[in-house]
Amino acid sequence: MRRGRLRPAPSSWRALGQTLFLLFFLTLLVKTDYAGSDELNWAVNLLFRIDPFLAAAAMLAAKTVIALMLPALVTLGLTLLFGRFFCGWVCPMGSLIDASRRLVGRPVASPPRPGRRQLKYLLLFFLLTAACFGLPLAGYLDPFSILVRGLTFSLQPGLDHAATTLFTWTYQQAPSWVNAITEPIYSLLRQSVLPFSAKVYGLSLASLFLLLAVLGLSRVEPRFFCRKVCPLGALLALTARFSLLRLRGGSAKCGKCTRCRMVCPMAAIGDSREIAAGECTLCLDCVSHCPRSRIGYGLRRQAAPAPGGNDQGANLSRRAVLTALAAGALAPLALAPRTQVRHNDPLLIRPPGALAEPDFLDYCLRCGECMKICIGNGLHATWLEAGLEGIFTPRLIGRLGYCEYNCTLCGQVCPSGAIRKLTKSEKQTVVIGRAYFDKNRCLPYASATPCIVCEEHCPTPDKAIKFKEVVIDNHQGEQVTIRQPYVVETLCIGCGICEHKCPLAGDAAIRVTSAGESRLGQPALPEGY
Amino acid sequence: MNRRQFIRDVMLWSAGATLAVPRFTILTDAWAEETPAPPLVAVAKGEDYSSLVTRVLQPFGGMGRFVRPGDRVVVKPNIGWDRNPEQGATTHPQVVQALVRQALAAGAKRVLVFDRTCNESRRCYANSGIERAIAELGDSRAVIEHIDQRKFVPVEIAKGKAITRWEIYKDALDCDCYINVPVAKHHGLCRLTLGLKNSMGVLGGNRGSIHRDLGQSLADLATVIRPKLTLIDATRILLNNGPQGGDLADVRRIDTLVAAINPVAADAYATTLFDLQPADIASTVAAHSMGLGEMALDRIKVTEA
Repeated sequence: MRRGRLRPAPSSWRALGQTLFLLFFLTLLVKTDYAGSDELNWAVNLLFRIDPFLAAAAMLAAKTVIALMLPALVTLGLTLLFGRFFCGWVCPMGSLIDASRRLVGRPVASPPRPGRRQLKYLLLFFLLTAACFGLPLAGYLDPFSILVRGLTFSLQPGLDHAATTLFTWTYQQAPSWVNAITEPIYSLLRQSVLPFSAKVYGLSLASLFLLLAVLGLSRVEPRFFCRKVCPLGALLALTARFSLLRLRGGSAKCGKCTRCRMVCPMAAIGDSREIAAGECTLCLDCVSHCPRSRIGYGLRRQAAPAPGGNDQGANLSRRAVLTALAAGALAPLALAPRTQVRHNDPLLIRPPGALAEPDFLDYCLRCGECMKICIGNGLHATWLEAGLEGIFTPRLIGRLGYCEYNCTLCGQVCPSGAIRKLTKSEKQTVVIGRAYFDKNRCLPYASATPCIVCEEHCPTPDKAIKFKEVVIDNHQGEQVTIRQPYVVETLCIGCGICEHKCPLAGDAAIRVTSAGESRLGQPALPEGY
Repeated sequence: MNRRQFIRDVMLWSAGATLAVPRFTILTDAWAEETPAPPLVAVAKGEDYSSLVTRVLQPFGGMGRFVRPGDRVVVKPNIGWDRNPEQGATTHPQVVQALVRQALAAGAKRVLVFDRTCNESRRCYANSGIERAIAELGDSRAVIEHIDQRKFVPVEIAKGKAITRWEIYKDALDCDCYINVPVAKHHGLCRLTLGLKNSMGVLGGNRGSIHRDLGQSLADLATVIRPKLTLIDATRILLNNGPQGGDLADVRRIDTLVAAINPVAADAYATTLFDLQPADIASTVAAHSMGLGEMALDRIKVTEA
């Protein structure tokens, strides 16, 4: 059983696997973009469709089976066979946590502290019950959502800004021999990792801090987030308790040696060196460090559990579980008297194909994919405009960007169907809002100055913005003939390009509100007609 | 080398570099020598757009008149909208392709094609068919590029009446031959968009504000953006709901190309394709009154090519 000197340690296979999966997911993220055709050729949203926690939460919230998310069953099935390999080998967040360990972790390995790890199970129970009873919060703590939002909203645009600043400087200031080197590099970066154009995102800093917090918690103890917080990890841990294959080998026979206990980043190894299958992520660090090569991967033994139970296990108390379930079931009751029940924020404009608001909130994973792919840079993360549970859901902000008339990418990339996949012709008839003029500021009205930029950009073949020629007095008291634009409500689909392109400084003189949106089930004033 | 030494060296080596952006001043040299009186406008009709380009350039002596061996050429079509060629909102890809091919045949060192689009750039380049048309040439000297923000340089417009300073794409200014290839179509504010309006595609900054005095602004721009050749694509003309169109019922196919050295004369003649008069277009009138070219149809020599 003794390893040859040149054979790589088992844990380096795991590190290799982590690197490959991380690169794969980063490639998918970069590919979450328009690529010259109306249809996406890659399942760029794969990461979110193999996440059983998000799948369970969304399906419980929607009370239906979401076919798009069924690949998550594969993850569960594999976990049932092989254990919690997903956390140790596949999860890109876990890989990043491991990669940043040297940066944030303590130089000395901390002794295993199994305490409070039941928190993640309680969070899982709370989030799933709350989702089922009408308070969908799962996306806030899902590792992939946190990761993709942080990378998309903050890190990639930041990288873009840094590169553009540097290469603008070299382009404008450096001699040509420098540019002979730097320009090909910039061009390569542009074609590979940088976004096509500079983008801005709502809640970019919040998303960055959330991601940094997850990574930084490893300062407290290794893989803190995975041990104690991650609800996806909790779900996989519950499944892995029954896994067919698992690591085992340590026992009281090992004497005083506790090397495996000391190196285990998940604190999954107990006093008597038995390994808790639910907590073990198969990172193989213990296998690599075991001086007697006693630890191996194999079939579960039918032997009775160690007397007194595994002290590294979940140790869930019935009372705590019931409390979590009850909290999840009761918390949604607090939402009933909110004003948005009667009146949504009129500036909350959802992407085309979005389900009716309550369904939308149930299905939406807060993953940020739609905002990543929005080529008009019009979709931005909502803050509290859609309520406590609406944070990080997408909304169109016309002044920042707009919905491109021929584009259907957000519906294609949505992993849960919160935004329905629409054909181009369907999409062009979906009304997400309607524009109105602020005649106090619109130039042809306010100062008899010609301007119909909004009309020029209005994309509907029969333009929703038309103009009438009127004779009015200008500021000098002269009579001038001028074209004044107006909106034809029945033609406007609320894409927001008029608001985006309006050349006025500050707020646009034409603005889009959600009034008239065509998705069903919008709250109506009950006292109205 | 320690950190302090490194910083000191960097400071020393970069002492000569300043952060100032280079500024261009364009001297308005008269194009009298190139513009015979009366100015010549060539018109060609036909269904094969590739040979149509050849024909319409013949009265001027072919592409060799404009492009000399080793020239850096810019071909500036209208790629402004996410529309397909049939919808008539963008320059026909075959016209652009034929022009680029002829410029290459005339010995151009590099032919650059670009436009600052209104819709998302990649969609416009793809769906206009122009990106593919350039790729089909399979010639590394023919380049179609998306706007690079770093290339906009502030330009003083000394003769400008409505605008006196604007950011203009560097390649449009310092190339050897700038060829303007607009598509003729309806426009809500200026009634038609033709050659002068197409120049807006090389502008940086907030272009919307130009619309407050659009006709004069376009004439001001014409004092610094100086195409050697204006070729107006009227193979299909958009009669309504321009400049973006989208409804095929608004498009009329007339299989016509209009070419001229003088941009004002080109616009003036193209106006008649829409049953309008040159005086109906504010930018034509403004440019004419600034002495940039002829707009009176009886003083323009029109040749059927």
